[in-house]
Amino acid sequence: MTFRLVTPFLLAAAALPLGGCAISINDPGAPSPSVARAAAATLTVRFEGIETPKGQIMLSVFDNAPAHDQNGAPVRVAAVPVEGTSALANFEGLAPGDYAVKAFHDVDGDSKMGTNPFGMPLEPYAFSNNAKAQGAPPRWEATRFPVAAGANTIRITIK
Amino acid sequence: MLDRRELLRRGMLAAGAAAMPQMLAAQGKPVADWTLGLTDVAGDIAPRPLTRLHGRAPGLSGTLYRNGPARFRRGASSVSHWFDGDGLMRAWRIAESEASLAARFVDTPKRRIEERLGAIVQPGFGTPARPGSELGGPDDANAANTHVIAAGGQLLALWEAGSPFALDPETLATRGPVTFRSDLAQMPFLAHPRIEPSGRIWNIGSGGDHAFIWRLSADGRFEAGETIRLPMASYMHDFAATQRHLVILCQPWVQTSPSVPYIQSLAWQPERGSRVLVIDKDDLSRRREYELPPLFFFHLGDAWEEADGTIRFDGCFHKDPLFAVRGAAALLEGRREHSEMPALTLVTLRPDGRADLAAAGITAEFPRAAPEIAGLPRSKTVFVGDYSNDRPFARAVGIWDWDKSSADRFDFGPRQLVEEFVPAGDHLIGTTLNLAAGASELHVFDARRIADGPVASWRSDVALPLSFHGSWMARASS
Repeated sequence: MTFRLVTPFLLAAAALPLGGCAISINDPGAPSPSVARAAAATLTVRFEGIETPKGQIMLSVFDNAPAHDQNGAPVRVAAVPVEGTSALANFEGLAPGDYAVKAFHDVDGDSKMGTNPFGMPLEPYAFSNNAKAQGAPPRWEATRFPVAAGANTIRITIK
Repeated sequence: MLDRRELLRRGMLAAGAAAMPQMLAAQGKPVADWTLGLTDVAGDIAPRPLTRLHGRAPGLSGTLYRNGPARFRRGASSVSHWFDGDGLMRAWRIAESEASLAARFVDTPKRRIEERLGAIVQPGFGTPARPGSELGGPDDANAANTHVIAAGGQLLALWEAGSPFALDPETLATRGPVTFRSDLAQMPFLAHPRIEPSGRIWNIGSGGDHAFIWRLSADGRFEAGETIRLPMASYMHDFAATQRHLVILCQPWVQTSPSVPYIQSLAWQPERGSRVLVIDKDDLSRRREYELPPLFFFHLGDAWEEADGTIRFDGCFHKDPLFAVRGAAALLEGRREHSEMPALTLVTLRPDGRADLAAAGITAEFPRAAPEIAGLPRSKTVFVGDYSNDRPFARAVGIWDWDKSSADRFDFGPRQLVEEFVPAGDHLIGTTLNLAAGASELHVFDARRIADGPVASWRSDVALPLSFHGSWMARASS
């Protein structure tokens, strides 16, 4: 039996949006390749500290506060395999500017965030800047980081 | 001026750090003696023998495990509500005339974060999240501070909005949160499971207008679980069960928003009245509902069923949740804001669909009944009571008899704060905080002669803040 509670309980209530982190790999939010080639920045996201060496990391990249904070469309999405305790995601053709990443470790490989019956996320998740959830996913102000022209790398601990 | 209901609707609370009794003292205000019941314990209490004050406890051997909040303040910060202190697991061990005490804090993520920061930051029942808090799930806020049961060779320290924490029954060392099945991690698990005489455990995970019904084996393994719909999104701390039915009392203190702290998500809506949902244990889809007047409660006694299908259970009822919202918060500041007292009341659910309330006429809390007859017909309810205007806590222990409409009780007097007592065979066992001695005490009564006073008492060399609930574990005879 699966459903989403309308009025979920206590702290799960506030944390619930994590379950719907807008990390849907089928989200049509990614820009077209032609647009991508026209831009000048690349971003490598290195996930570290992975405790279960299997499955994949699913991530969404955002380039503005409203989309990030209000479950809007990401500018890019990716699913990358876990190799040992780390995973690498590469994005090319980004316009320089501020970005933020939301990610979860799809341990069982079903491409969905596992939740308990009340919608609490049960697979590891993380955010850029290693920003912490405080009853709800961290806001853009806590997760944003600059991407400059050329190569950029960030690290995210996900466990 | 806001009326009483408006205050409740807004879940009005002191949002910042609570003033401490010491601060009141610094302002020249007298500190009430009962504030010792909310004192802080700095660290674990190493095992130590108790001093026997009088008497013997013939044939009694085992441990009274008790749980309750014991760390409320760090540096200049404080939790905002009595219910949000770190759980301290106490083991009061009795072997005939000898007794000892040991206590350890439950090692929760909340406690680790706050130890590291030296500040209270995690949100809770009535405490807001503060800078530095980390809340990835309910168990990050889990204070594991409300009750303790034993199952499967370990103790389960219970909260209500997250997982039980398993502890070693000998060392009281924390083993960690219990996940009964991988997809049920971080599910709520009330602090008041109902345990059948066979040992089978029923419990509720409260989630707004839904509840997850837990069924565990006697050794604490997951047997079955199902989500059901409730008549309303009531705050739920306790429920009751007969041999055949779960009896779920829904009070009109309902969740209207997903706010943190939890208490601010609730609104008092007395016009909705109260509802009792009765569910067949063998088929959770078989259910019926009864209507009751609006009431507020934390604790219920065991329920039972009569031959004609009548179901009865008792509870300690308030007129409204003002104590939960304001009274229990003010206690931490050394103030007594709310004086309405809990009234022991019998609920009768009749086969024709009617339901009614009958007050015993006494103030009472922490109702308990013999575990051997849980869910079966009974007339006696163990309680603590004689709540009076000079203090927010009980001063007497007793057994109320619904057949005789009278209580056999013992008054510890104005200088003792009385905690929950539990049945243990022919005895009652429980603890008090002796304000005159500045020390916690352990007492054993002959359950047939409560008014005679304890048959044995011991005193510790520490003053522990008041605990909430506990379980007596008799030592298996060798």
